Amino acid sequence: MGYIELNVLNAPGSVPETLALGIDLGTTNSLAAIFKEGRPVVLHPEGRGGLVPSVIHFPPDGMPVVGREARDHAVADPRNVIFSVKRFMGRGLGDVQAELRSLPYRATQTERGLIQLEVHGRKYTPEQLSALILMRVHDLACQALGGQDVRKCVITVPAYFDDTQRQATRDAARLAGLEVLRIVNEPTAASLAYGLDQRDKGNVVVFDLGGGTFDVTVLAIEGGVFRVLATAGDTHLGGDDFDQLLAELARRELGPVHGSALLEDPGFQQAIRLSAEQCKIALSSDPEAELHVVIPAKRVSWRRRVTREEFESLCAPLVERTISACRQALSDAKLVPQRIDEVVLVGGATRMPCVRERVERFFGRKPHTELNPDEVVALGAAVQANILMGGRRDLLLMDVTPLSLGVETMGGAVSKVIQRNSTVPCEAHEGFTTYVDGQTGIDFHIVQGERELARDCRSLGRFQLKGIPPMPAGMARVAVKFHIDADGVLTVNAKELGTGTSAVVEIQPMHGLTDAEVETMLKQGFAHAKEDFEQRRVADLKVEIGTMVRATEKNLNAGRAGLDRESVLDLEQAMERAKQACTQENVKELQQARDEFERATLPLAALLMNNVAQKALMGKKLGDV
Amino acid sequence: MQRCPNCDAELESPLGCSACGRLLDPPAALSPFELLGLEAGFAIDARALEKRLRATMRVVHPDVYASAPVPVLEHAERNSARLNGAYEVLADPVERADWLVNWLGGPSESQQRAMPQAFLHEVLEWNEQLEEARSEAGSAPAGLSELQVRLREKRDQALANVERLLIPLPERGSPRLSEARSELNALRYLERALREIEELQLRRPVQHP
Repeated sequence: MGYIELNVLNAPGSVPETLALGIDLGTTNSLAAIFKEGRPVVLHPEGRGGLVPSVIHFPPDGMPVVGREARDHAVADPRNVIFSVKRFMGRGLGDVQAELRSLPYRATQTERGLIQLEVHGRKYTPEQLSALILMRVHDLACQALGGQDVRKCVITVPAYFDDTQRQATRDAARLAGLEVLRIVNEPTAASLAYGLDQRDKGNVVVFDLGGGTFDVTVLAIEGGVFRVLATAGDTHLGGDDFDQLLAELARRELGPVHGSALLEDPGFQQAIRLSAEQCKIALSSDPEAELHVVIPAKRVSWRRRVTREEFESLCAPLVERTISACRQALSDAKLVPQRIDEVVLVGGATRMPCVRERVERFFGRKPHTELNPDEVVALGAAVQANILMGGRRDLLLMDVTPLSLGVETMGGAVSKVIQRNSTVPCEAHEGFTTYVDGQTGIDFHIVQGERELARDCRSLGRFQLKGIPPMPAGMARVAVKFHIDADGVLTVNAKELGTGTSAVVEIQPMHGLTDAEVETMLKQGFAHAKEDFEQRRVADLKVEIGTMVRATEKNLNAGRAGLDRESVLDLEQAMERAKQACTQENVKELQQARDEFERATLPLAALLMNNVAQKALMGKKLGDV
Repeated sequence: MQRCPNCDAELESPLGCSACGRLLDPPAALSPFELLGLEAGFAIDARALEKRLRATMRVVHPDVYASAPVPVLEHAERNSARLNGAYEVLADPVERADWLVNWLGGPSESQQRAMPQAFLHEVLEWNEQLEEARSEAGSAPAGLSELQVRLREKRDQALANVERLLIPLPERGSPRLSEARSELNALRYLERALREIEELQLRRPVQHP
């Protein structure tokens, strides 16, 4: 292929691939950023913002649409517009009953407890839905990069995400065709964006109240090393919950007038959600705002003034929950508020004045708000991506695992093997033995959480050790190694020490996808929907053409002199046609234009190839070659 | 001082070489002190320890090897897990003392469980007070803070005793090791109670086995 050769020819003197995206996969909005010319920048195609609402619309027939366009269908087609997928990541149906009550979806679960959302009779896992969002974010990012296809990325998750939720995020990226370099905690990423390494030494608190999750992280920064001391949070507390308070208010007052049929209507629920969100946002700048629900088709027209004072009194219990998490994090970090040198606010919900005031009062200092709280996480992820690609070698992140890891013992109690806030990567070794003569297998149950009883913690899976050689009871010595990696994800290994046989560990995750399921979905993704494939192809062709255009424009001026006029004209025309094709969505035309373009670049490629060969040979005697 | 088998530079940590960036495979038996390149002993300079942690982490952390082949990345995962494990032992005085007592052949926690009757009576008394605090609704009762002050004093005293017993390091088999173990056992009780008080003060539900 012509363009690949051109890229090879660009190689002498140019840098190898060093680009990787930082992606904030948020509950309400998602965003990509990249590290360019010494600083992180948000990626957005010309003429539009970078924030992609994490919303998917499934039209009756045709391709799912992601982003603002999807959001616009929320009221008209509520059952087919999916919001807040992140709340379902790595969760079972039992975990999300409260969410489901306020969202108009049909949800089911597989026999293994995997949650699935149903749209047009087709079932989607949260991983698949998040993959659609990631693909859209990736496409827009590549467009912003002039068609360059960057697939390496760092993806952020709430610090308080457990193992299954992290794995689900990794799987979603895999389904989207992305290569995840690292899963980074959102507040930790945010601390990188603020350039806090400028101060030589200090303790920093990142207060991150996003759309659906809350995290607070305490870091010690010294000599470019960002060491997380403790993190605490709540994966079910975010801006959405503040919206819910207003939506609830509307329901309480509308119920008696319009009856429960209206309250359960999906269109009404979406309308309320959106209106509540608008009202909340307005109350951040105005002392008073309007909450309104107008649905002409249902003869609903309701308006009500809400004062900031009234809203804040509704919010107070939620704000206090964030402060009690701050106390917890400080206590775990063995620090008091007076020892904190900087406080950073992250997440759209920190725009609420009552949140800012409460945080300022608790820490006794004015928090940083210089960076856009919606962008700071993606910017930090881009810094981390740059570090991982070998860019900034002076910075290093040391993060922690947010939850204790334990094994269920006889009687249902938990024996902790790794304490919460242990720095990752970390490892623990536990010994297991057999209870019965000739027993060849041992089952154990791994949980994450702080409670004393296994049933109150989050189940990560039941693990089975098989292939233990038959021995009298208690003689087998099985050493099990638990390793939490830099992404915060657990792996388990086991070995029988007496005989040296490596026992087979079979892991049956309680939630989340198995590797086999991810593989199947990847295959299905291609085999099933032709439209899926075509749209992907269109995006890929545009990216390919973009790369070819840049390579050609870069080399044509230098090469012009060495080419005959006809070849130059031919190339310019083919390039023009290819550019034109990129403004349309026609896969056939794009394919033809690309092929034509590629053919037309061959003379230039050949010329450059010769030049490079000559340069490489210059100064060498014939005999050396 | 050991030297790097790859570039012959002096090694600050046996886990990896800061000069050439080679990850190494020190024997499993190495002590946490050796992993951080420190002399074994109870007295430790917390600032110096942290500095060693940061310097060594720059050599072994997986982020430094993000674009390396998988086996190298796994090596970095293993070595940084070992480094973090070693730091955790050394950074906490109780863990550090526990490790030293075991290392010097003193009685382990499971070998020497017996505690003086008087101490156990005291434990019962705190537990009663904690039980009361737990059953009371709302904010933590004032009596809890008094208990906290008392237990903190006891903890500081027990830590001072451990320090006196372990500096200088006793010989192997010295009776001071058994005395230190008793103090450490008391510290486990004290720290557990103090943690519970803190949790109660944070008004988090405390579960009981």
